[in-house]
Amino acid sequence: MRVSDNTNFGLVRETINRTKGRMEKLQTQSATLKKVNTPSDDPVGSSKILEIRTDKVNNEQFLMNSKLAEAQLNNSESALSELGDIVIRAKEIAIQQASGASANDDTRLAVAEEITQMYQSAIGTANRRIGDRYVFGGFKTDQPPVTVDGKYVGDDGQMMVEVGRDVFIAMNIPGHEVFNTNPGVEDRPADMGSSPELQMRAGTRTPASYSATGQPGKEAGKAGPQAENVNVFEELQNLRIGLLTSDTETIRNTLDRFDQIHSRINSMRAKIGSRINGLQTMSQSLERQNITNAQLGSHLEDADMAQVVSDLAKEETVFRSALQSSGKLLQPTLMEFLK
Amino acid sequence: MALPNVMQTGRSGMVAAKAQMATTSHNISNANTEGFSRQRVEQRADNAIPHGGKNMIGQGVGLARTDRLNDQYIEKQIRNASRDLSHLEEKDLALKQTEDIFNEMGGEGLNRLVSKFFNEFRKLANEPDNEAVRQSVRESTLAMANDFKRLHSSIEDVRNHLDHRIEGFASEANSIAVQVKDLNLKIKVQELSGGQANDLRDQRDTMMKKLSTYFDVSTHTDKDGGINVDIKGVGPLISGPNAEKIIVDRTPADGEGKPENSFSLRSTGNASNDITHALKGGKIGALLEVRDQTLSSVLDRLDEMASTITNSVNSIHREGITRYGTKGVDFFKTLEVKDRASQYMALSDGVANDANMIAAGAVANASGDNRIAVAISQLQNMRVMDNGNTTIDAFYNGLVADVGVVAGRTRNSLVQQKDITMQLDKMREQISGVSIDEETANLLQFQRAFDASAKVISVADQCLQTVLDLRR
Repeated sequence: MRVSDNTNFGLVRETINRTKGRMEKLQTQSATLKKVNTPSDDPVGSSKILEIRTDKVNNEQFLMNSKLAEAQLNNSESALSELGDIVIRAKEIAIQQASGASANDDTRLAVAEEITQMYQSAIGTANRRIGDRYVFGGFKTDQPPVTVDGKYVGDDGQMMVEVGRDVFIAMNIPGHEVFNTNPGVEDRPADMGSSPELQMRAGTRTPASYSATGQPGKEAGKAGPQAENVNVFEELQNLRIGLLTSDTETIRNTLDRFDQIHSRINSMRAKIGSRINGLQTMSQSLERQNITNAQLGSHLEDADMAQVVSDLAKEETVFRSALQSSGKLLQPTLMEFLK
Repeated sequence: MALPNVMQTGRSGMVAAKAQMATTSHNISNANTEGFSRQRVEQRADNAIPHGGKNMIGQGVGLARTDRLNDQYIEKQIRNASRDLSHLEEKDLALKQTEDIFNEMGGEGLNRLVSKFFNEFRKLANEPDNEAVRQSVRESTLAMANDFKRLHSSIEDVRNHLDHRIEGFASEANSIAVQVKDLNLKIKVQELSGGQANDLRDQRDTMMKKLSTYFDVSTHTDKDGGINVDIKGVGPLISGPNAEKIIVDRTPADGEGKPENSFSLRSTGNASNDITHALKGGKIGALLEVRDQTLSSVLDRLDEMASTITNSVNSIHREGITRYGTKGVDFFKTLEVKDRASQYMALSDGVANDANMIAAGAVANASGDNRIAVAISQLQNMRVMDNGNTTIDAFYNGLVADVGVVAGRTRNSLVQQKDITMQLDKMREQISGVSIDEETANLLQFQRAFDASAKVISVADQCLQTVLDLRR
């Protein structure tokens, strides 16, 4: 085989270039600590990496949403517990004052004043605010949901927050559900319709056909069994009037209704509790998912430093030996031996 | 057999050795000349003449011709291989530029900004009654729209750059075509006298190798040894004394329309006006491929993404209620067409001037209503792209991955092609390359021959002297 000088020199150049190319790649990896530095390094992996990053950013937002929702639900819960205490106290008063044995017109008149105070603090509790937001107003968070005469002027809006991908939890309890034992019977506040995200998940709509004015659910509410509705503010007023007028019949009538209200409030507290539980479970699973994602992302993206460093050392050796052998290969020519 | 004849024989040996030494030194001095094939003097023994009856005595050596050692088949293979190599190198370079635009792996890119955009709506859903959140919704939207613009203009920059390269390559190819045509003529003239135009042929081979790096060509040799070149799919480039030209038509971009309208190639050798899509292979073919396939598709998909986000966010946002309780407006500026959506994506005037025009809820007088914000943030998980088959995120990630796949595939082919080319170069060097050691040995060999032939003359001279001295 003939070996021309060009072949020799070409071989040397090529060997050096290739080794240097590999070293450069390893150096990039060790500088960035990543093995995927451009999409072409691992096209499928890079797509997955982007997916994981989106998940991570979204999960952080979901966790933040969870925290906010939890704070608001906790606040609502403590407000409800206060309201429950008021109802229990009112019922105690009603029991004491309903019988002629332990009470008379004078005592009734005296405790009527206490009931007025309780009524005021019940209204105050119902108008509980977090920052500028009234928590029991449904969507109407910028005005007190209950007026001084005990009328609910909020709506039944549920503020849904996304706490996990496609998982929504309402972070508020509309007041009329708490203050009324059977809100379907009373004149309901403006119906907010089923929330758009629910429709969306049901796949019944595309964004283009979205309409916020639809009011499904109202008919269903009316069609339900017609149970008697009890309102907490009305009932406190009834009790006060009963006490003022010393009408034991009226006072006695409030007893059962206070029970109904109390159990309503308790069931609402249970509802909030289960929502908070749900939030915590969701947050935990998000955090677990974050860890799994981080592991997968690291596996896809991060360079194995031990590998990189040892590869780099290996390439360096290869490079040195290439240079050395090149020196030997290029040095002698026939000329030097013909003197 | 006369003694002067012996001198003549010696002289012929010296002449031959001198010619060989000249050729050897020609080889050595061209050892590094690109495309040079080593040459060899073909010599043959001169016809013997009868001497004294049956004895045939040789007359010395004669020069037959100077050959170049060259295998046309390998030259052709090298031509094809270097065409493919240049194709891949050029493509690799252009794709690397394209890939760099999507700097997603560094962490800052459209992917993150799109997530941020939707997450700002999630924040708005948490606090639909807050003005500050609206401001940050607007900021994150601007950041996203700007990145769409950045991508769009960076890709256009790459495309302009490619256009310039194509233009440069076309004029290089034109000038090489003229040189090949001229060499055809020179070779013909030189070879009319019967000699071999070795060096001109080497030059022409080199030029042909260069020419074929620009696009796919086919060649055939005519009876006079001239090479005719056809551009595959287009028509003749060099035929006989004519060299056609490739002409680049560039009309300044008018800001509208497709790139093909502002850039096209013509050939004087083809009746049809536009050969932009007929050129294949080589550097020009590579650039056209990247420009008209990869870049166009990337731009199309960015436009589709921008216009889908614009339209679907708008259609939800319009249904909402602003913070002032008035009917919702468009969130983004409406786009008439999908074309160049990534460039024109922008906030609508209403939202751009006043963040309170951003709608979070669907009904008036309900500052806690967050359903519009929730619905918009939900777009991130909805299959709104690709006729309802893909989410926005997946669509974009697919786009990045596709660019990566093309770039990665090209890089792999490039490595393979380099090996092939190297192998072929080695084969060519084996036949045509100059080995200094070999030439040195040859030089010594020819020097000896020269010395010996001179000695023959000197001996013959002495003999002649002896003969002349006989008379004294």
